[in-house]
Amino acid sequence: MRVLPYLLYLFLITFHSIILSDLMSILGVRLNVLILIIVLIGLFKSDTEAIWFGLSAGIIVGAARLDLMPWEVLVITVIAVAVKQVSSRINLESLASKVVVLACSVFLHEVIITLIISTEEFFFILIRYILPGTAYTVLIGLLFFLIKDGRISREKFKALF
Amino acid sequence: MTWFSTIFYRNRRLLNFSLAIIIFLLITVSDGVVRPFLGNIAMSIFHYPFSELKSSIDNLKNIAEDNRNLKNTLTETSLQLSSLAEARRENHRLREFLGFEPPENFRVVPVKIVSLGLMGHNQYPIAAAINKGLNDSIKINQPVINRFGLVGKVKEVMPEFSTVQLLTDPANAVSARIAESRQFGIVRYSPEEGMIFDNLPADATINKGDLIISSGLGGVYPSGLTIAVVDSVLSIKGEIKKSIWLKPSADFFEIEELYVLESVIE
Repeated sequence: MRVLPYLLYLFLITFHSIILSDLMSILGVRLNVLILIIVLIGLFKSDTEAIWFGLSAGIIVGAARLDLMPWEVLVITVIAVAVKQVSSRINLESLASKVVVLACSVFLHEVIITLIISTEEFFFILIRYILPGTAYTVLIGLLFFLIKDGRISREKFKALF
Repeated sequence: MTWFSTIFYRNRRLLNFSLAIIIFLLITVSDGVVRPFLGNIAMSIFHYPFSELKSSIDNLKNIAEDNRNLKNTLTETSLQLSSLAEARRENHRLREFLGFEPPENFRVVPVKIVSLGLMGHNQYPIAAAINKGLNDSIKINQPVINRFGLVGKVKEVMPEFSTVQLLTDPANAVSARIAESRQFGIVRYSPEEGMIFDNLPADATINKGDLIISSGLGGVYPSGLTIAVVDSVLSIKGEIKKSIWLKPSADFFEIEELYVLESVIE
């Protein structure tokens, strides 16, 4: 297992959460890059990588709020492992199934962390931030899957014009 | 060793899970040691560089914002300064005018020029629109002066505005006299010759630098208003008339504040 790419992913996650998150937010709706990367690793890498990357990402994300660190570690690692288990058992191939897995992961992470922080105005947060944030992340994930599967390529893009 | 390697490779997944669970339990249970330790490492390696970067970006943004505000303030201050300078100049002109005594039975109504009607390129303006009219008791044919002398007369009056026919309008002629010799003539302006003093008796004595004032004849302009000084006199032998060119007292290129002379006798 090469460590460098995963270090870069971790740097990307912190870079996004500290700097890009505000810039990329649309009316306060934020992209969940952390879960997007976790799901991608769960889908395309081994379970060892999923476990350790989930654990590391949880620690790094939780460092900003130490009281939330165990929850972040638990939720993110469980998501990483669960995605890996689901993808290896069901053998996810179709685009829709990957998108569903991504959507469920983002939604679960957002809901659990929101409920841990506070249950006040949960439904408002659910409607105003969690669901649009999930949709935003799924949209970016969908683009990634389309590019990765070769359904969107530079040649095809050029052919349009 | 072989035994250990075999167990490790066979149960690698189990070992990974077990290690991950142990770390998770350590993080959960030991909130005073392990959690701060890991948090500190994560903060110093991953968060700190980006936090510094973000604070630098925020600083730059603040500096840019401050810079923009300072530029706006500078522009506003420059505008205020120029308007203050303009006010100072206006104040100076008005102070100079304070010493001016209007002719008997007249009072001055200060007016501002709204626009100037030019005759052509490099020519004097021939008319001026002023910011007072019928609502301010301005009437047709009232004389208009500035601090240097006679400028013209009111030609048209509207409720809020009036137009002044300046001395430089060729259609405007003023009955005048030489201040020294008291001889009468007509001051008029033509684009070709400039301001001239006409209809002067052939034997009249006139020299360069003589002051020309309004005569009071004609009923429009009161007597004694400064109009011009004699710029040059040309006498040709055999001709009865003298050609006399005048230099207007008021600089028609730079007229700003004007004063309408309003008769106090109804």
